[in-house]
Amino acid sequence: MAGEQSEVVLQLAKAVRRYGNRTALDQVDLEVAKGEVYALIGRNGAGKSTLAKAAIGALALDSGSVLVSGVDPGRDRDVRREIGIAPQEIALYPHLTVAENLDAFAALAGVPRAERASAVARAMNETACAQRAGERLDQLSGGWRRRANVAAAIVHRPRLLVLDEPTEGLDTETRLILHHLIARLRADRTAVLLISHNAEDIAVLADRLGVIDAGRLRVEGRPGELMARAFGGRTELIVQLSAASSSAEPILTARGLSPSDRGLCWSGMVVDALAQAQEIETALRSVDVKLRELAVHPPGLDALIGWATGSAGGPGKA
Amino acid sequence: MMLVMLRVMALGLWRDRAGLVLVFVLPPLVFIVFASVFGAGASGTLDIRAQVVDQTNSADSNWLIHSLQQRLAGRLTWSPDIAALEDAIESGQADAGLILHGDLLETPTPVTVLIHPGRRAAGEVLTAQVDAAVAQDLPELMLRREIAHLDPILALTPDQVRRATTLPFGLASSPPLVAQRTLPGSDPLLVYYAGAVSILFLMFTAMQGAMSLIDERRAGLRLRLGLSAGGIAPLLAGRMLWLTALGVIQALVLFLVAAAAYGVPLLANLAAWLATAVCAAAAAAGIALALAGSCNTREQAQPVSTFIFLILAAVGGSMAPRFLMPAALQSLSWLTPHAWVIEAYQTVLWRGLVNTTVVQAWSVLAGFAAAGFLAALWIEGRRRL
Repeated sequence: MAGEQSEVVLQLAKAVRRYGNRTALDQVDLEVAKGEVYALIGRNGAGKSTLAKAAIGALALDSGSVLVSGVDPGRDRDVRREIGIAPQEIALYPHLTVAENLDAFAALAGVPRAERASAVARAMNETACAQRAGERLDQLSGGWRRRANVAAAIVHRPRLLVLDEPTEGLDTETRLILHHLIARLRADRTAVLLISHNAEDIAVLADRLGVIDAGRLRVEGRPGELMARAFGGRTELIVQLSAASSSAEPILTARGLSPSDRGLCWSGMVVDALAQAQEIETALRSVDVKLRELAVHPPGLDALIGWATGSAGGPGKA
Repeated sequence: MMLVMLRVMALGLWRDRAGLVLVFVLPPLVFIVFASVFGAGASGTLDIRAQVVDQTNSADSNWLIHSLQQRLAGRLTWSPDIAALEDAIESGQADAGLILHGDLLETPTPVTVLIHPGRRAAGEVLTAQVDAAVAQDLPELMLRREIAHLDPILALTPDQVRRATTLPFGLASSPPLVAQRTLPGSDPLLVYYAGAVSILFLMFTAMQGAMSLIDERRAGLRLRLGLSAGGIAPLLAGRMLWLTALGVIQALVLFLVAAAAYGVPLLANLAAWLATAVCAAAAAAGIALALAGSCNTREQAQPVSTFIFLILAAVGGSMAPRFLMPAALQSLSWLTPHAWVIEAYQTVLWRGLVNTTVVQAWSVLAGFAAAGFLAALWIEGRRRL
């Protein structure tokens, strides 16, 4: 839920969408309020893109509802003008310049002709791509294209902005520019649905975080609270063996680690990981098992997804 | 909104040089090739190359060869013997061959034309030129041959025979029994092929443009476009408008070449031509949009559209004149836009008429356009994003 934020912009209620026998969205309830950045994470095929399409009214639901500013965007064309989307792909015309693309999408979104030039200039300034305004998209590097992709999503000042992996493949400078832009949009009371796999994006930008798996929204909450709830003081411990060994198995399973990669890699969330690591190293040496790597990581998004979906003992299967 | 799409697509073509060549240069070039081939064939002036073997080497044969060399504008050359002549025809150095193997007066059939099985038309032309040369350029030779044949019947006196058979060459030819008069107006086959080539390329050009639908789906543009205030219909209508305008411009370029090079009366019938061109281009645009909407990828759309368009072109008369087709195929061709486009252009430009046939053709083409557009709209509306 939107917590203390008021005025819900995007609201999905019991949203269900099926493709044949596969349920892409399963009873999803989700709200994004004005001035809120809601981050959505999940594995590939979990339903993130389907949810994004449903949120903008591009996909009809089998049941449930989606409302943007209280109106169904699938039925009401006017409310679509309040939505902006930057898909994961560069959804722009490659043969047009940056400015021409933005002008076209401003026009399609209903920006009056008299205001279009200033809207285009503003969007280019906010995404720092004004210096490439006259260059064709197909002649720009990936980072510039991605900036233009986001610029086209905000050129008409939407109330709801859907960003699908906006920082993927970007250098630090461009990522920071987009972080500043999203922060500014939040300050301007824009509701942002952010789909990202980037932990830094989530940490810096997300007010709330939802984990989706097999079309179901498993958990949601503030990122810090979710991490604390999922892992407490635990840290991820990863053990890589030079060769699979039956002698190593009881030592590692006793400490709550589970195997992958045909028994060569073991990992798990543990308390006091450094002490545990030393103990494991000593115990493995005593049975002549050679270590390739032993690493301690703070829990990341993948671990959170694992916890949320139940594959790491979280609430997902409950 | 439609204008936005129009501008986007226009800039796309303007910045695609290969596309510009394909759309505006290739169709007139193909037309010129068709016009040269079929126009020359229709007028009976095939420029054949022939070789001759003269085994008699008589005064008569020399006169005949001289006459033929003038008729073939120097494209009749000597061959040393029959084997060399056959080799020349086999290798393609000559289209047909001529053997003078008997006395032109006495031998019943003194001339043989050698014909390659793949170039029968060349043999027919050479045969006709020999007949014409003998009848028109060497009437005294014909007279002597006839007297030789008729003498037993007419019982001519020796003096009569001597006078007739010793006539010097250079006798004025008799006035021809049959004269030819060609009706005024351009060659109908040229108009036919201008229309046929035009609709053939309209289809491919429209498909090339309509495939932007597929590119937009791939690039995620369709999601963004779906948010436009007007929905899908004006976006598709903008495309339809652009493809129609582009088709008309393409047809104009082709017909201007036809008018300049072959005298096709375009300017005299401009309004009716324009209406036909608009209907033809709209029909091509509608069909192309429906096809592009049905295909998921370019890799799918390219072969499917090429196959369908070539079949339509073959059945519709874009590749060979419909009057050469069997009756059943001619009836079937009315199911294609090609037949209607060709018929409309022929009636408008060659006959100079706007009659019920033309109005019917416009209506059918408009029907193709509307059906294609509605099908594309329905498909795009139902497509999973």
